[in-house]
Amino acid sequence: MIVAERKPLNEIKSFVENYKKILIVGCGTCATVCLAGGETEVKVVASGLRIGFLKEDKEIEILEDCATRQCEPEFVTEIVERVKKEEVEAVLSLGCGVGVNFMADKLETIPVFPGVNTEFFGAAVEPGVWVEMCAGCGNCILHLTGGICPIARCSKSILNGPCGGSKDGKCEISPDVDCGWNLIVERMKKMGTLQRLEEILPPRDWSTSHHGGPRRVIREEIVSLSQEGKEPTETKEAAKEKESGR
Amino acid sequence: MPEPSIAESSYAPCITACPVHTDTRELAELVTQGEYEKALELLLEANPFSSVCGRICHHPCEENCRRAKVDAPVGLMKLKRFIIEATRDYRISLMEKMLPLPNRKEKVAVIGSGPSGLTAAYDLAKMGFQVVVFERSKTPGGLLGNAIPRYRLPYAVVKEDIDNILSIGVELITEKTIGRDYTIDDLIKQGFRSVLLATGLSESSTLNIPGIDSKGIFLALPFLKTVLSSRPPVMGKRVVVIGGGNVAIDVARSARRLGAEKVNMVCLESRDEMPAWKWEVEEAREEAISIMNSWGPKAVFSENDEVKGLELKKCVSVFDPNGRFNPQFDDSDTATVLADNVIIAIGQRGDLTCVRGSNVKINPGDTLECDPKTLSTSTKGIFTCGELLTGPASSVEAVRDGHRAAKAIAHYLETGDLLMQPLIELPALEELPDETAEKIKKLTPITIELLPAETRLKEFTEIERGFTEKEALEEARRCLACTTGALADEEKCAACLTCVRICPFDVATVEKTAVMPEEKCQACGLCAAECPAAAIALKRFGTNQMKEQLQGLLASIKDKMVTRPLIISYCCLFEVTSRKFISEKSESYKKSGIYRIMIPCIARLSVPDILSPFELGADGLTIIGCSEGSCLYPTAEERLLRRIRQAKSVLEEVGVEGERIDYWKTEGSAEVSWTSFWEISRRKLHQIKRIGSKHP
Repeated sequence: MIVAERKPLNEIKSFVENYKKILIVGCGTCATVCLAGGETEVKVVASGLRIGFLKEDKEIEILEDCATRQCEPEFVTEIVERVKKEEVEAVLSLGCGVGVNFMADKLETIPVFPGVNTEFFGAAVEPGVWVEMCAGCGNCILHLTGGICPIARCSKSILNGPCGGSKDGKCEISPDVDCGWNLIVERMKKMGTLQRLEEILPPRDWSTSHHGGPRRVIREEIVSLSQEGKEPTETKEAAKEKESGR
Repeated sequence: MPEPSIAESSYAPCITACPVHTDTRELAELVTQGEYEKALELLLEANPFSSVCGRICHHPCEENCRRAKVDAPVGLMKLKRFIIEATRDYRISLMEKMLPLPNRKEKVAVIGSGPSGLTAAYDLAKMGFQVVVFERSKTPGGLLGNAIPRYRLPYAVVKEDIDNILSIGVELITEKTIGRDYTIDDLIKQGFRSVLLATGLSESSTLNIPGIDSKGIFLALPFLKTVLSSRPPVMGKRVVVIGGGNVAIDVARSARRLGAEKVNMVCLESRDEMPAWKWEVEEAREEAISIMNSWGPKAVFSENDEVKGLELKKCVSVFDPNGRFNPQFDDSDTATVLADNVIIAIGQRGDLTCVRGSNVKINPGDTLECDPKTLSTSTKGIFTCGELLTGPASSVEAVRDGHRAAKAIAHYLETGDLLMQPLIELPALEELPDETAEKIKKLTPITIELLPAETRLKEFTEIERGFTEKEALEEARRCLACTTGALADEEKCAACLTCVRICPFDVATVEKTAVMPEEKCQACGLCAAECPAAAIALKRFGTNQMKEQLQGLLASIKDKMVTRPLIISYCCLFEVTSRKFISEKSESYKKSGIYRIMIPCIARLSVPDILSPFELGADGLTIIGCSEGSCLYPTAEERLLRRIRQAKSVLEEVGVEGERIDYWKTEGSAEVSWTSFWEISRRKLHQIKRIGSKHP
């Protein structure tokens, strides 16, 4: 899951305070699960902003909405339509950065502001505590490291660890941070596969990660189907237009 | 029969067990809200004999209360009595409000003014029919008016129900006996389009044993009727009552009150088989009445024709393998019991002289030929209800069949056809699982001590008082609010597991989405308050209702000059010991800037709930919870405190003082401590500037 955390309200307030009508949009998926931007948090942010503006005697209309996922066109279209129909001046997204981007792409001239800081891909290790576990580097090597990711969980993302900064299982950057390589070694020891670590991992090709520029995944079968589905509709509409006067 | 106000997939067992499906769960909730009038309306909708049933009902609602598994059932019957007693004036105005009724010309005659006949008359009158009730006694009410001893049921109580029924225009003609003074045919000739036979089982059965004609022997119903008269019978020192049912108990206890020193009940049944309600048996024992179980009468022995005692034979079994009454005796095992009087209370039968001269058919066993589904006799337009239809039954069952009879007759008059009305069994909520019951906080039931036996025996005054308001409110709180629990909206649920993690009763699970099994959920509302997707709602707790109330409150003052600081106070409804405090004082507090919103458990407040008063223009929020240790739900207070902290930090983030939110625990009761909490909050807020100037 993508883990995010709500930005402080005074920061959020500074984004939107010069508009007359804003829409706060939550996201019903990751942002809800990590308690940062679901429908309840939308209410909290809306309420907080209203109180803040009330204090400053500012009259700003705050609308509330929540998309099932802000990263799907079908769900976002509904929001985009609402923004246009109700003449919303600015959107505050409580979805992850993907949601902000995606809505910004669709909304052309309307500003979309981030209401949360998107943190990482992580897991809830206990209720209310999320830990980063994947860096989305595009070339998974978890089969070599006992299922524990050195890219995400080692502070230096080194491929052949641990480094000299590992002490009593903790990373030198903070006693609160587990040494990722220590976790790898301990787990592989338990699995009886520790000897595999004697093989030195060669330098990696980082072009699969962000270093190769923005990435995309294409599933041919779905792409072609939906495009096939679209064409006849467009043709029909074009035909209608022709009939009706041209 | 009126259906419960809400259509559900399953109902609280108190509702399903009640023959008239009184929405008892809702009643308990209305009592906690101080809404006694609404509760009365709900009661009367189901049962026009609510005063009576608040006293003598066999209360299957309590017998089926799911709280029994935790500690003891909720005292639902006494809550009903409380509602009745708290709303006497309103009840009269309610009846007046019902008028004028629709006017339909068809006349209906109801024979018998017991609970069944009068319920039917009441329903038919409400529908606009012209109803005349004929009663052979001087006193209406059937056995309620003419048999049940006053220590159990004061006549004023019966009269209260009957007066209400008559007040909407039901005509009552007393001291007219059908079959003697008039016949069914006479009624038809007089223009009655339908006749309802509701004469009940009005005749006591007798015994056919040697010596039964001796002096000093009474039959139960005539005996009880005389007891109620101005000249009650004189009892000898030793009285034997034959029978083990509720009437026998009434007879025995009446005999004790009339001076009999030694009362023995003789019955065929073993203690466990006795048909009398167990609490009645217990109260009889307290009054020093002995019960000789598993004995049958063999002969009466007398001297100079005066009864002197009873010879008994051992009863070895009462019922045959098919459960039919078929007593077997061991004639070699005998006993004697001395008696100056013997009262026979072995059952009642219907008096079928009512159909004499008509073509209404009678079954070989001397019962009325009738269809239990249509309530019709063999003659078109002649219906029956009550014990004549069902055999021995309770008052509330009589009321049920009165409702059915009214529907049957109305349908017949409208269509000329019979209406099929099989008895409806509503689906009941499953039993409370053990593992859930263990987690529910035990609350001692409010018990009302009966008068001490020696006081009781001096006279026929009522032996049990009703709840005080404080007691009623406390007892109503014990209701588990079955079927009102959490419901997750599948569309919104993100399966985040928050509900699973915080549920103090381990009820919530996530399958594809969150599920809170109804038979386990305790409706604490913690999951609803914490759900990040706002996907969970309690079926009965109106979060929206609360918000509307808040918005209504604040909107109402928008254009007016308002006392500042303006404080909204969310208060735990359960800590109030009188509704006077909820309603009457409310206005004076408003004048001083305190606007209260009473909530059944403030642990249900979400962060947005805590923030919303401020966005609506309040200067402060005072949350008052229950007193130390009295919260019903584990972890609830801790969760609420965290939410309050979160709300405070939201305020701080936008530059508003978090100290505008106060949290208090009730000390003593609402009446004792809340005013001072508000005073402290107010004083503090005087030091803090208003949040905005444009809003009131």
